[in-house]
Amino acid sequence: MKDEPSERLDPRARTLWRIVGALNALPLLAGGVAGSWALIRLAETPFLLGMLPVVLAVALLVLLVVVGPALRWRRWRYEIREDEVDLQRGIVWVARTLVPLARIQHVDTRSGPLQRRFGLATVVFYTAAGANQIPELSAPVAAGVRDRIAELTRFQDEL
Amino acid sequence: MNSENGVAGGTPGGDPDERPSENPQGSPVNEPSLRLHPAAMLIGALKTVRRWVGALVIPGGAFLASQGFQVRTMLLVLAGLLVVAALAAVWGVLAWRATTYGVSGGAFHLRQGVVQKNERTIPLDHVQSVDTVQGVIQRLFGVVEVRVETAGGGANEPDASLSALSRDAAGALRRQIEVSRRESSSAEEEEEASVPAVVRRLATRDLLIAGATSGQIGVALSLVAVVSQVFDELFSQESVERVVTSFAPSSVTAVLLVVAAAGLFAWLLAIGGTVLAHAGFTLSRDGDYLHIRRGLLERREATIPISRVQAVRVVEGVLRQPFGLAALRVESAGYGENAGVSTILFPLLPRREVDDFLRAAAPEFAGEPALEPLPSRALRRYVFRAVLGALPLVVVVGAISTFGFYAGLPIPGCGPGGCEFGTVPLFAFEVPFGVLLSPLLLAPAALYGWLQFQDAGWTLSGDRLFARSRVLALTTTVAPRRRLQSRSVISSPFQRRLRLATLQARVASGGGGAEVRVVDLGSNAAGTLVERLGPGGSS
Repeated sequence: MKDEPSERLDPRARTLWRIVGALNALPLLAGGVAGSWALIRLAETPFLLGMLPVVLAVALLVLLVVVGPALRWRRWRYEIREDEVDLQRGIVWVARTLVPLARIQHVDTRSGPLQRRFGLATVVFYTAAGANQIPELSAPVAAGVRDRIAELTRFQDEL
Repeated sequence: MNSENGVAGGTPGGDPDERPSENPQGSPVNEPSLRLHPAAMLIGALKTVRRWVGALVIPGGAFLASQGFQVRTMLLVLAGLLVVAALAAVWGVLAWRATTYGVSGGAFHLRQGVVQKNERTIPLDHVQSVDTVQGVIQRLFGVVEVRVETAGGGANEPDASLSALSRDAAGALRRQIEVSRRESSSAEEEEEASVPAVVRRLATRDLLIAGATSGQIGVALSLVAVVSQVFDELFSQESVERVVTSFAPSSVTAVLLVVAAAGLFAWLLAIGGTVLAHAGFTLSRDGDYLHIRRGLLERREATIPISRVQAVRVVEGVLRQPFGLAALRVESAGYGENAGVSTILFPLLPRREVDDFLRAAAPEFAGEPALEPLPSRALRRYVFRAVLGALPLVVVVGAISTFGFYAGLPIPGCGPGGCEFGTVPLFAFEVPFGVLLSPLLLAPAALYGWLQFQDAGWTLSGDRLFARSRVLALTTTVAPRRRLQSRSVISSPFQRRLRLATLQARVASGGGGAEVRVVDLGSNAAGTLVERLGPGGSS
């Protein structure tokens, strides 16, 4: 297989993922606190044992907010070659995906409210067997990637 | 969305000026003029009745039961039914009058709707297939239901459905659509169009074998379970118990008897289901199209353009493999009933005849090259996965026998009063049979893992990816390189340590996609294969 894809996602992606991770972890933290409170106050378990839910929730929070986004960003790479789109992603399961440009039917960019605040956008491209995406590129880069894919797709010979 | 419309407008078939009007009456180009067979009135009425009765049967039944089945309420319900039937009949006539269809200006037009008029136009270039289905009522009148499907069509509903056409009208419509479609694609193909040649017909004996060995016994079993639930609700506990105890005095025998009966019933149900669906299964080929006819009561005809077939799967079920039998499925773009659901190409044929069959039906997918085995270091991952998968079963069996034993259920073991058959006195404890036996389940699981490893294989031959794997059934998938929509190499940390990886290719199927996977091939081999499967690769 060829070398790793050359391009990385926008560095601001990490901050965005941290915020999303924190938002996702909040209910978890609330659950942990409630669990500990219930254990210590209602079930009268020893203090250290009772703190276990909180500790677990905090550990998960750290994983979601600090470690996860950094690892994910380090792994994520992409490259638009002349005949294929090359993607690499995944923290534990590393997936390398190749999508021939000739198979791509259309390309979108999309950005949610949070993404727009950071000036980020996601490129989504569709094949007959489903969609693939390159998330969290800075908006101008995303527009460039989208146009590039669309442009190259036009010149692909049907195999 | 916009791009799609742009394409549709630019195709030659979409331009009414370029082609002479095919409407013999000379009526305006976009005015559909043909009507359905009058049987459509009855069919429409019956559909309406069925819908209403379906909605009313439970409240109606409850009403009847609450009134204690008195003659007056019975008459009331009967009168209600008659009113519904009369309204449905009127509706059926109105709906029939409102429905017209026709092919003109390079498009299929369907106009329908009594209150809300609805006109649908499908450009012929977009027509994926023209299928005919013949239900029981349609057979009474000698008519067929015609379904026109498009490539981008919805999952379950056909894009346009004509509930009753005479055979001649259906044939004429099909010819009209297919001929104009061929004209617009290329002139050569038209000459090839000939009488469909039968590729293979399913013999009655094979039909019964297919039913008896189909894996649908599980589905049927769950159906039996559901029915028995309902049965339980309807009849009181006591009466059931009385019946059961009169047949089998001991509760163990009773349980065994019930299980055996349910199994047998489910098996017969599975056979019946297969017979209903696949009786008279005939695959024929007409140039670039495959035609499938099947069904006992409801006759179905389907058309698959060969150019739309994305992958072929040869499935050797566990019950079929010992007899050297297999079923064939195709993954076809925008055709299957749901996303990722493959269509049966042929329900049962001897494994050694598969190659000849494919040569006749879809030559692009024929061939049986030798497959590359997996590296031996993958064996332990296969065994590990199988054992891990069986672990919950071991725990459940152990737990059931323990709890059941101490709760006094008739499970073999030692009780306070002494030991029965199957007891294991272990030290000072009385241990139920199942706890000691349950870990033995891991041995067959490990064997299954080894078998999966032995059976897995892949190769790239004649620009096609061949991949074989076993999930109970042994499945060999053939997918041409140019049909692969994307390819991935995926590896977990454990795989990376052993220099292994999983190759996963996606092909279009139904509304979404289907996967072709090779688990745990060497990571170098996976890397090379994924490149060779790409646009720059070669066989």
